[in-house]
Amino acid sequence: MKQLFPVKHVMGYIFSLILSLVALAVVFFDMSFAAGMTILLVAAAIQASLQLFLFMHIDETSSKKTLYLNIVYALFVGLVTIFGSLLAMIWGIV
Amino acid sequence: MKHDTSLALEYRTEENENRILGFWLFLGAEIVLFSTLFTVFFTLSHRYGNGPTPHELFELKGVLWETFLLLTSSFTCGLAIHSMRLGLKKPMMTFFIITMLFGLGFLGVEVTEFITYVHDGATIQTSAFLSSLFTLLGTHGAHVTFGLLWGTAIMIQVKKYGIDEATANKSFIFSLYWHFLDVVWIFIFSFVYLKGLM
Repeated sequence: MKQLFPVKHVMGYIFSLILSLVALAVVFFDMSFAAGMTILLVAAAIQASLQLFLFMHIDETSSKKTLYLNIVYALFVGLVTIFGSLLAMIWGIV
Repeated sequence: MKHDTSLALEYRTEENENRILGFWLFLGAEIVLFSTLFTVFFTLSHRYGNGPTPHELFELKGVLWETFLLLTSSFTCGLAIHSMRLGLKKPMMTFFIITMLFGLGFLGVEVTEFITYVHDGATIQTSAFLSSLFTLLGTHGAHVTFGLLWGTAIMIQVKKYGIDEATANKSFIFSLYWHFLDVVWIFIFSFVYLKGLM
């Protein structure tokens, strides 16, 4: 039975629940927009990495560099799309 | 180049290793897809028109249930793959069934949430905020729905053929998809709901 629940997985699960609770703090505590967004960003980034490395085993084969590059590139395109649009349409800087 | 045979069963043939690599490339495209939907949401999320604001619309209780259900199903999906790698079919099937049930529970809460919204007069046509919200949540929910069908089809194959190179490969690829949906949900939870309620 014990071998079915590896410590790493259980810890990862508990940690992701804790991170969700940490993110939840932005709703219940009075804080600035910048502070709230920082907490949300950091908690989400850690949770996403947990999934990638722990549950999706992204780093276990020799093609891991290809996989990292693929994910980083996809994130780059995604972030440019998001922040480029915000710059042009919401923040009015460009 | 000689193929590495020391890897887990799902990577054992070169074709299967390439299938996994190919699925990662697909997930890269999925990241971009959801980024564009987040872009639309962030751009339109303050255009309420005559409709409700996030504060009036969102209810934390349902969102927390959805988060808990999807996080747990991602965890049990990881355990299913762990059992698979130990060659234990029965616990693998059990964990997969639990994964599917939690996924179904997530979908149930989300559908209830949508029905409540529409019942309160917040439809996809009410405001730009709601159009972008329903598009983002709906695309994620549609992925979960497809995942439930796909996961069930793979469970049937594992039950029928046992854990072999082919079914291990399919199961592993499905687990990548399922964990990815959890990642997308984390961002929806943080930057749609919690940010909206800040």
